[in-house]
Order: sequence, then C-alpha cells, then structure tokens
Amino acid sequence: MNRQFMAILRKDLIRELRTREMLISMILFVLLAMVIFHYAFSVKEGADLTFFTGGMLWVTFIFAMLLGLNRSFAQEKDERCLDGLLLCPVDRVTIFLAKTAGNLIFLLIIQVVAVPVFTLFFVERSYAGDILQFLAVLLLADVGICALGTLLATISMNTRSRDLLLPIIFLPLIVPVLIAATGATTLIFAEGASFGSLLARVLFLLGFDAVFLVAAYGTYDFAIGE
Amino acid sequence: MTAEPEQPVPLEIEVDGLRKTFGRREVLKGISFSLERGGFLSIFGPNGAGKTTTLRVLATLLTASAGKIRVAGHDVKDDPMPVRSTIGLISHTPMLYADLTADENLRFYADMYGVDDREARIGDLLERLELSHRRHDLVRTYSKGMRQRLAIARAVLHRPRVLLLDEPHSGLDPRAVDIFDGLLAEIRDEHTFVMVTHNIAKGLEWGTKLMIIENGRIAYEHAAGVDHDTFSSVYLEHVHDGSVL
Repeated sequence: MNRQFMAILRKDLIRELRTREMLISMILFVLLAMVIFHYAFSVKEGADLTFFTGGMLWVTFIFAMLLGLNRSFAQEKDERCLDGLLLCPVDRVTIFLAKTAGNLIFLLIIQVVAVPVFTLFFVERSYAGDILQFLAVLLLADVGICALGTLLATISMNTRSRDLLLPIIFLPLIVPVLIAATGATTLIFAEGASFGSLLARVLFLLGFDAVFLVAAYGTYDFAIGE
Repeated sequence: MTAEPEQPVPLEIEVDGLRKTFGRREVLKGISFSLERGGFLSIFGPNGAGKTTTLRVLATLLTASAGKIRVAGHDVKDDPMPVRSTIGLISHTPMLYADLTADENLRFYADMYGVDDREARIGDLLERLELSHRRHDLVRTYSKGMRQRLAIARAVLHRPRVLLLDEPHSGLDPRAVDIFDGLLAEIRDEHTFVMVTHNIAKGLEWGTKLMIIENGRIAYEHAAGVDHDTFSSVYLEHVHDGSVL
C-alpha cells in the first residue's frame, strides 16, 4: 500500500509541478479574491474588519479548493488514465488517500503564499504568539476540506455536469468546517486564543475529519467504480 | 508401453451467463464462453453490440449485473485483485499521462504493479519497442503510433498472463499497424489474448477462436480456420450497418 500510495502521490506532484495548471489558477483566484475583499469591505476609512477575517480567509480557501478539485480529476480522465489506474491491483482506499494527500499539499502551498498576503491586508494585530493554534486549526480544516472534496470530486467526475454538481454537493457539506474554522481563526486574529479556548472547535474539526475519512474508507470503492 | 494421456489445456477465461445492465438498458444478455490458456479470441460485432462492455467486465472495470466470470482461476467480482495482477489492457486510448515522460509513466505503473526488476524491465521493453531514444520525452510529444507502442509496454510491464485488446489498430497508420503487429507476434506465445476488433483480416489472422456479438448475445462462435470470404458473409448476416470490412 505504501509503495502504491507514494507512486500515485509522486505522479500527481510531478504532473502538477510541471504543468502548474491547478496551482496557478488557485493562487490567482486566492490573490484576486483578497484584492476584491479589500475594496469591497473598505467602505469606511479605518473600519474594523477583524470579525470578518476568519470568514474571508476560509471562504477564499474553500472556493479555491473547488477549482483545484475539478482539475485534479479532469486530468485523470484525460486519455482514460483513470482506467489505467483502476486496472492496477490497488486498494481503492489507497487511491483516495493519495489523492487527498496530493490535494492537501496543493492547498498548503496556496496557503503558504496566501496567508502572509492576507495578514498584510486584513489582520491588524500580530498573532505570532498564537501561531501553533493557527496552524493546528489550518491543518485540521484543510484535512476535512480535502477528504470531503476528494470523495465528492470522485463521485461527481463520472457525471455529465460534474463542474456544476461538485459545488452543489460540496458547499453545503463543508459548512460545518467553515463555521468551526472561521470561529477559531477569527478568535486568533482578533484577540488571540489558547488551545483551551479553541478546544471545542478543534475537537469538532477532528471529528469531522474522522467521519469523512471513515466514510471514504467505506464508500470509495463504490464512488470510484462505474 | 502406453501413451501418456494428453493433458487438457487449462481454461484461462470462463464466462457463464454474463449480463450487464446500464439503468434499464440491458447491454449484455447472457454471454457464455471460455478460452484455454494461450488461446486468442477475436470478438467482432457492430458498434454498440456489447464487445467493449464484455472486455471491461473481464478487466474488472465494470461489474457484471449477473453471471460468473473467472480469469486465471479468480472470480472477477469476488476476487478482483489477483485478476488485475493477471491482466493487461491495450485500448485505442493509451491510458498514459501526457505530462509525464515515457520513463515516468512506466515507473509509475511498475510501482503500482510491484514489478521487482523495474529498471531492467523498463529498459528492456523500451528497447524492444524502439522507444529508448525518447524515454525522457513527454508523452504529449509522441505520435499516435508511438503512444500505442508505449501503451503495449504499459500493458505487459507486469508480465500479465492475459492481454485484453480493445480495437488496438484503431487510428494507426499502416506503418504503425505493421509495427504493432510485429510486436504482437513477438509476445504472442507469452499470453492469452482477447481482442475486440472491427478488422476482420486481423481478427482472422490472429484468432484461435472467433466470436460475433450482436445485440448483447453471441451470434456466432467458431474455432479458427474459417477463410476470409466465408467469415465475411457470416459477419454480414449479423452486422447490417455495412460499416465494417
């Protein structure tokens, strides 16, 4: 399993780093969204945007991920490469885990670029003292977004209207992650937060991740099948 | 002295009552056949008859709605992993990643199949397929014929016992067809073959067993040895669209 997991992940990384199709579109989207947010919310000089920051950040990441998810499986469908993958003696869950890990790496790359820019634009206080809490929330929310997104992108890729279907099924289901991550991130950006004060949200994100990883484990064979 | 009794050739593929339904449409309506190890089954039939669906069920890419299918002794539905290790599929689409090089594609598939002698095997195949000089070029820069040759390398990389060919000559120019057939001749003794084709001449040339599928049923089944004219007239009885030959 480990060899096959690494083979799929390595293949996806090589392809993406060579073509940069997903990364460039996601980075451009995120940066443009921030510029638009900057002007859209600058209705009054010196207006306090602190309590919108978490929402702006996570809405941007979720929509950027939608772009990436659509592309990640579109590539697999080219030249029927998915058939080649499914012909291999590989557990379907391994395909899911490798695809999820690939999407997670791409999302993290986007965030390495986007978070400093976002902080520069919108965050007024330094949250250096809360960086571990921020990274924990970021990672847990990212795992949930990528696990759910990969599962749903797999289901939607075999449908005729996959570009439309994916947002329709992904966005409602990702709302719990959005609420928890937005709450925790806003708290960190606004006044700082200890792990204790974030415990409920962190546990919720952990639970969400676990539920969708287990759900994918049980359903991925069916999802990626016919 | 008594002569040793001749051992029967074991069956490599056994299909019994295969049915496949997509929604309300029944594409395969109870297909049964078998193929001995080392045999070459040529399947003909009009478009939409169910030939490719049959092949995709054998390849575990589709699940049968009913029937028992065994490949190399393994049930394709209940025990698909050993079946996948046993088969290779060559289609008219090469199933290769265009943004990877030939070398990267084959390394990827070698890792997926757990090929032990990866480097030697890839080097040998690329040499035999006359692609060594292009092994580090992106597949998107390859011609259709080169991609099809590389698709052969992908399909036989893990030394499968059974090779499934889905219209492998489709879209190839005459020179590429010659190269492809030369390669097929080289590996003919190493595998059991099932080939879906519209090309009667090729199907008759290679087949040890001939089959026509029409409207989801086997309309004709015969051992090899049928001449082209006889088979063509049989074929035309079953295929009315006139788009073949």
